[in-house]
Order: sequence, then C-alpha cells, then structure tokens
Amino acid sequence: MKKLNKMLFLSVLVSVGLALSVLESAIPLPITFPGAKLGLSNMVVLITLVVFGFRDGITVAMLKSAVLMLVTGSISSFLYSFSGAVLSCLAMYIGYRFFTKIFSLIGVSILGALAHNFAQVTVATIIMNNLRIYTYLPFLMLTSIFSGYFVGLASTYIIKNLKVSFNILFRG
Amino acid sequence: MTKGDKLLIVFVLILSLASMGYIRKQGLSNKDKYVSIQVNGKEIKKIIFDDAIVGKTIPIETDHGYNLIEVGDNEIRVIEASCPDQIDVKQGYISRIGETIVCLPNKMVIEIKGIDTVDGIDMMNY
Repeated sequence: MKKLNKMLFLSVLVSVGLALSVLESAIPLPITFPGAKLGLSNMVVLITLVVFGFRDGITVAMLKSAVLMLVTGSISSFLYSFSGAVLSCLAMYIGYRFFTKIFSLIGVSILGALAHNFAQVTVATIIMNNLRIYTYLPFLMLTSIFSGYFVGLASTYIIKNLKVSFNILFRG
Repeated sequence: MTKGDKLLIVFVLILSLASMGYIRKQGLSNKDKYVSIQVNGKEIKKIIFDDAIVGKTIPIETDHGYNLIEVGDNEIRVIEASCPDQIDVKQGYISRIGETIVCLPNKMVIEIKGIDTVDGIDMMNY
C-alpha cells in the first residue's frame, strides 16, 4: 500500500511539473533568447530530490521531459530538455547531499539551473556541429541565477509544508 | 540564503559577465569573415582580411563598368567608380558581417560574409 501511495504521489508530481512547463511557456519573458526560460518545473524535481531521494528525483525528471515531448510534440526540444534534466538532477543531488552546509536550497537550485543550461548548450553544439554555440552560455548563466533563485525560494516553502502532509500520508 | 549561496551568485555573475566581455571582444576580430565581390550576381573575387593586404587596392574591371576597391584594416571601401552617382564611393568603409556596398550601374556588390561551418540543421531549430 505504501508503495502504491508513493507511486501515485510521484505521478502527481510529474503531472504538476508538466502543467508548470506548459504554463511557463505562456508567460512572456522580457528577454527573447532561445533557451532562456523560467524553469518552474525544476521546482518539482528539486522537491522530489529532497523529499524522496535521488532515484525518484531522476525518475521524475526523466519522465517529465519524456511526457513533455508528447505534449509539445517537438523532438528537438526533447533532446535539450532530457539531457538538461538528467544533468541538473545530478548536480542538484550532489549539491544537496554533500554541500548542505554551504548551500541552502537556493544555491542547490542555482547549481541545477547552471547544469541544465550547460547540458543544453553542449547538446546544441553537438547537434549543430558548431562550437560557437557556447557563446550563448554566459547569457544563459545570467538568467539561471534569477530563475534558480526563485525556484529555490519557492521550493523551501513548499518542502516545509509538504513534509507535514508527507508524514500523514506515509506514516499515519 | 546562506553565505555559500551569495558567494555562488557573485561567482557566477562575475564569470558570466567576464566571458561575455571576452566573447564580445573576440566577435570584433576578423577571424570568421571574408569579403565577397559579386558582379552581375556572380562572385568574382573573395578577399580574406590579412595584415599583409592592408592599404592595397583592387581594380574590378568588367563589361559593366570599373571600380577601384581599397582594403583597410578589417574594412573595405570603394575609392573610384565609373558610375555617374558615386554612391558606393560616398558610402565609405564597411566592416561588419552583413554590410554591403552596392554599385547599381556597374552591377557590382561588395558583401562581408561570415564563414559558416553550419551544415544540415538550421541555426534556429529550437
């Protein structure tokens, strides 16, 4: 029963992440730059990482980008988002597991955003066979500071409340 | 927000701004561009900027008219032309990728082009 509960909870998290991804594409950004986005769905991955652990976190991240391909229908953006999701999940896990004393969740989420952008640019470079794509990286790094900060801030509040309901769900 | 977070933000900020400046500086260099001179739609000459050819003049003489082109330091201009309006001479130097000098009566176009290494997929395939 507990296993089923957990599975359901994770699938709810994946669908929340999907909804956030679709929603954030409707929000106009002041800068029009390919690859720059709010990364709201990163919140879901971060929460899963903290509450459930690494294995479930990376499962949610991978599922999210795979199902997002079915929603949006663009395979090229799937390549970017999938590699970004895996690498950012890894970076956030390392940040959360080993550097908790140095970074709060804000720092962890900035690390994740940076890793996401790095993976994106690397995949773009490989696909287009053009090393000059890396000139995008500084711009993306600047945007990842902002998005990472707010995602981390929001996650702190969510996790505080989620842990309470989590205890009721799985231990009560 | 801990001290580590602030340090990380400052570090990333400095790193990205510094590399942005570096890239901008690199972008102004002459590595990846060349001059394409076209007459009547056909490319008749390609010039790659080089210190050795600064100040040289190149005559372009065809059935459609005569133009004298001068190569500068990463820039190029027309200094003499047989056309009546002399618009290409008055335009002066061009240096950036995408800029053109057009001499309509002589059917001559000077264009600065980027050397593209992209093949296959469009740049904006996001």
